[in-house]
Amino acid sequence: MGLPTDHGGRGKKPGSQLWKKALLHSCLCFVMGFFTGFAPSSVSDWTSAAVSTAGGAVASSHLVRPLVGAMTNRSLLAQDPTTAAAAAPRPLLVVVTTTESTPKGERAAALTRMAHTLRLVPPPLLWVVVEAAADVPDTARMLRATGLMYRHLAYKDNFTAADVAAGKERHHQRNVALGHVEHRLAGVVHFAGLGDVFDLHFFDQLREISSAAAHAGTPWLLYRYRPKHGYLRATFVSAFGAWPVATMSRDERKVVVRGPVCSSSAVTGWFLQDFSNGTAAEASTARPREVDVNGFAFNSSVLWDPERWGRYPTSEPDKSQDSMKFVQQVALEDFSKVKGIPSDCSEVMVWHVDTTVPFTSSSSQQSLGNKRR
Amino acid sequence: MGMGRALPLALLLFSAALATAQDTERIEVIRMHGLYAVTTGSAGDVLEDDPVGRLKVYVYELPTKYNKKMVAKDSRCLSHMFAAEIFMHRFLLSSAIRTLNPEEADWFYTPVYTTCDLTPWGHPLPFKSPRIMRSAIQFISKRWPYWNRTEGADHFFVVPHDFGACFHYQEEKAIERGVLPLLRRATLVQTFGQKDHVCLKEGSITIPPYAPPQKMKTHLVPPETPRSIFVYFRGLFYDTANDPEGGYYARGARASVWENFKNNPLFDISTDHPPTYYEDMQRAVFCLCPLGWAPWSPRLVEAVVFGCIPVIIADDIVLPFADAIPWEEIGVFVAEDDVPKLDTILTSIPMEVILRKQRLLANPSMKQAMLFPQPAQPGDAFHQILNGLARKLPHGKDVFLKPGQKVLNWTEGPRGDLKPW
Amino acid sequence: MMKSLLPQSGLRRSSVRGETGRPLGAAGAGADGAAADGGGAGAKAPASSTFWFLLHALCCLISLFLGFRFSRLLFFMLFSTTALYHSATTSSSAAVLRATTTTTTTTTTTTTTTNTFTLSFAAANPPPASLANRTALETAAMVKAGTSGNPQSHVVVGRHGIRIRPWPHPDPVEVMRAHRIMERVQEEQRRWYGVKEARQVLVVTPTYSRAFQALHLTGLLHTLRNVAYPLTWIVVEAGGTTNATAAMLSRSGLTYVHIPFPDRMPSDWADRHATENRMRLHALRVIRERKMDGVVVFADDSNVHTMELFDEVQKVQWMGAVSVGILAHTGAAEQPRLSEEDKQNMPLPVQGPACNSSGHLAGWHTFNSLPFSGKAATVVGEAAPVLPKGLEWAGFVLNSRMLWKDAEGKPDWVKDLDAVGENGEEIENPLTLLNDPSSVEPLGNCGKKVLLWWLRVEARADSKFPKG
Repeated sequence: MGLPTDHGGRGKKPGSQLWKKALLHSCLCFVMGFFTGFAPSSVSDWTSAAVSTAGGAVASSHLVRPLVGAMTNRSLLAQDPTTAAAAAPRPLLVVVTTTESTPKGERAAALTRMAHTLRLVPPPLLWVVVEAAADVPDTARMLRATGLMYRHLAYKDNFTAADVAAGKERHHQRNVALGHVEHRLAGVVHFAGLGDVFDLHFFDQLREISSAAAHAGTPWLLYRYRPKHGYLRATFVSAFGAWPVATMSRDERKVVVRGPVCSSSAVTGWFLQDFSNGTAAEASTARPREVDVNGFAFNSSVLWDPERWGRYPTSEPDKSQDSMKFVQQVALEDFSKVKGIPSDCSEVMVWHVDTTVPFTSSSSQQSLGNKRR
Repeated sequence: MGMGRALPLALLLFSAALATAQDTERIEVIRMHGLYAVTTGSAGDVLEDDPVGRLKVYVYELPTKYNKKMVAKDSRCLSHMFAAEIFMHRFLLSSAIRTLNPEEADWFYTPVYTTCDLTPWGHPLPFKSPRIMRSAIQFISKRWPYWNRTEGADHFFVVPHDFGACFHYQEEKAIERGVLPLLRRATLVQTFGQKDHVCLKEGSITIPPYAPPQKMKTHLVPPETPRSIFVYFRGLFYDTANDPEGGYYARGARASVWENFKNNPLFDISTDHPPTYYEDMQRAVFCLCPLGWAPWSPRLVEAVVFGCIPVIIADDIVLPFADAIPWEEIGVFVAEDDVPKLDTILTSIPMEVILRKQRLLANPSMKQAMLFPQPAQPGDAFHQILNGLARKLPHGKDVFLKPGQKVLNWTEGPRGDLKPW
Repeated sequence: MMKSLLPQSGLRRSSVRGETGRPLGAAGAGADGAAADGGGAGAKAPASSTFWFLLHALCCLISLFLGFRFSRLLFFMLFSTTALYHSATTSSSAAVLRATTTTTTTTTTTTTTTNTFTLSFAAANPPPASLANRTALETAAMVKAGTSGNPQSHVVVGRHGIRIRPWPHPDPVEVMRAHRIMERVQEEQRRWYGVKEARQVLVVTPTYSRAFQALHLTGLLHTLRNVAYPLTWIVVEAGGTTNATAAMLSRSGLTYVHIPFPDRMPSDWADRHATENRMRLHALRVIRERKMDGVVVFADDSNVHTMELFDEVQKVQWMGAVSVGILAHTGAAEQPRLSEEDKQNMPLPVQGPACNSSGHLAGWHTFNSLPFSGKAATVVGEAAPVLPKGLEWAGFVLNSRMLWKDAEGKPDWVKDLDAVGENGEEIENPLTLLNDPSSVEPLGNCGKKVLLWWLRVEARADSKFPKG
């Protein structure tokens, strides 16, 4: 075509000015498009979309009727008033129950009662029950009848009586549960002890940890999962919740209330009240050595957010496996991440029954502190 | 004029670009096959047919090395998912449709167990199968005149391998091999079913894989057990041993299930097989039945038996006894490409449709047709196979060859297959 | 002219044209010539500025689009072989010929709008070769070789991309919808398999104000709220009704009758047992007076009940008995010699009916207190397990008509309630309501199933607690 010379020869004409401009703009756009294409975030998105689109073309023979169907489905569902009411999305609650080595009868009874309570909590709720493999069949039968959405996790590790007494089995069970939650289920995780009794409002309060966790104005549901990049998330206000728990010991003369000290839902300290003689004995702001998991819940995203917490895995090699320890540690380190439940922490919504019967009353007084739950 | 033409193209390109942009945001293509299949309830009629009196089968007597000895050598053959070939043989021996007079037979059956060669881990090896089959056919064609009369067109064979009579577990290899040349005229009874596939020749009968009926029965839970799992699946997502790159296994569909739904609490999916597997299926609403290396899996049988709506993810699958079981009505079909939208697809199914599917699945005749019970029961998979054979009668004219006519090429196929067994 | 000004885009366009053009027929033919014609038109006519502007914008858009596509292509060639998670161009050539069917569904929570742009493509057109694609072609070729003229499935053998959707998972709205589906399914299951004509359940609970009351009542309340049958909760409170109990009952959402009982609850276990029995009897008299119709269940607030129990009691004709698991295990401190293993295997003590082979009542399994000799508490709240005395009421259910003054078909082996317990004798268990206890119906698979657990966990009577 001999275009360059052609072009040069007609350089003064307004048309060629236009062409130059057009060329320049086109080139710019091309480059722009080129770089847009390289933008990393949409890589897989785009390709997968393209793939499914292509598939659509191939399978188009089946396409038309079902599409109409799908639309009708939706409108049908929409017309159902109950659906509309139920459709208000709530954050997921993950309630973990570790059975430890509770005797069979007690275990069945406690799980049954727990199931009845959880059945009254509006969905979505996932109940994670952890047990030694040998105990599974009996419990499985009981769980099946509950109608709850549950995961029954079994582990094969054996624990000696000494391990159990030291709480090692319990710790292991919690880690098994966290292993299931880790990287998978986004929601508020709460460890409910066998024999705990809850006020139903408590679960509503728990869900608020999740909404508090998201950035103001960013709904919880906007977390985006990107296969390569993990979760992109808004900043946390708080990822933990803590509340007072009343521990009632069977045949004891006292109730112990442990929990956070709060002012306007921020935790300012921890206290332990001993109602042995009807008067509140002590209140302290000293940090407990370990957070009692019955009195606290956390947003599961804590587990898979190493950048955010910046210290996980720690230098200790086996610690990377110990999610439980990590969570407890993180919760303890900074009060500001912990949300008090309810906002002034004044109301006891969780009771914990210690069903262990001490052999003699004298020994029971000493053993209170380290008793198995 | 130039403008007139340029604009539509530009618009098209522009809209395509726009659409692409939207893709990255969120796209939902909802494609459900079979949701709106007409409910004429074909369930009962065909399923309850009785084959007795409609056909006669002659069972060849083969040396025991073709069948019984193999089972004696490795009893695991009786319990793996290809065991249908053994139980079909046993069933036919005592069945009312068996005839001892080959002259009056409509169908001839050659009892040869081609899948009973297991690795130490219990996976069947198909490498010897072509030679065993060939040897068996040679045997019957020499001893009886009936094979040569039709070159197998009135014979049927049970070949429950992954890819049927292609005798290979890798699809590429199976396709390369094609159906064993000697079986090109015979009717094949096989688990493999995919539309327009080399390994599914016309007229084959697709059957369910074998699932142990006794074992399943012991795991039954009361039907009122509340269904509290939305979607259930246990099995491999990646077959890293055979497909380290990923994407070959299950044509990427299983991996896609995992990657998209591992973080969804409604999807109870995992690779470990719990002891409560059968019980859990009975408390699930939907059970995923994605393809594996082949489009079918025992989950199809399990889902139907346990009343869990099968979600069939296998493009172009041909389902067992598709002429008798209204798969479109009891199952949900999801295109492999639509796996990322599985949750939307399943939650968009109208409630009445789900309940209707469950009611159909509760029909015992549906479950019966998927099982190979011992002893056989009316309407079970054995009877469905016979029904299928009976429906092919009378044989067409082209079945019987003219004297001296030869169709099959006995020397065709890979050299390895031609070696004597 | 434009073609040569934008050499790259021109080059690419030919393939784009191929992709989009063909099967559109007439429109496609128009598109075919579009680029060249557009250029020609620009050179020829000194058109209006609008036209130029439009053309300009068009060209810019096209180059933007092409640039985008080009970079994608490059990207694939660079990364598709390694990236497992990227849906690399699937072997179906359709993926590469990607100007295709695009179905966009805009979803709000309730409505769906579907816009379908359908541009078909000619599958015969060889796609530009990329690495992934070449393997696909090879496979396809191999497939063809193998088929020997058989029709091929469109499902292609070989490596496929792993499709991952970009938007967030799971969609909370869909999660809710799924839960709604499960709920409906369970409802339907109850309708199909459940009791057809449900009888009312009358739950009798003796209680008193104490430290563990809120805890126990809350637990029982949650259980009762799950019962799928019409239910009336008859709560008898020792020492008169209290506001705390009344508040809890009114918040429960259950139908209830709150009855005061004048006596206070003693702390001695034997006395307490007798008082509770009198409280239960009191409730039965209320049922008799009000002619309440249904099945009476004795649910103590510290016991734990299975849902199956409430299904099972629907079957009772006059009086039924169920098996009760006795939770008197006493924890680690009590039996230091026993290992965890032993404790696990220790059978749960059960109180309940014993059946003969024909399924009729043959006798009673009673709680064996021998292992606990010397360790049982006499005062509730003592540091030892509280053990049941004889047959606990919790293990019995009865048809309320049995209590009525005149009920149709009431069997003669039932005593009149007025003749029972009036002279101050203790009513140990409901069997004293009968002349002949052999007619009691064993429930729960002849008592083989434990349908509830009997448990006493109390604080010491002299303890003081803060309010909840």
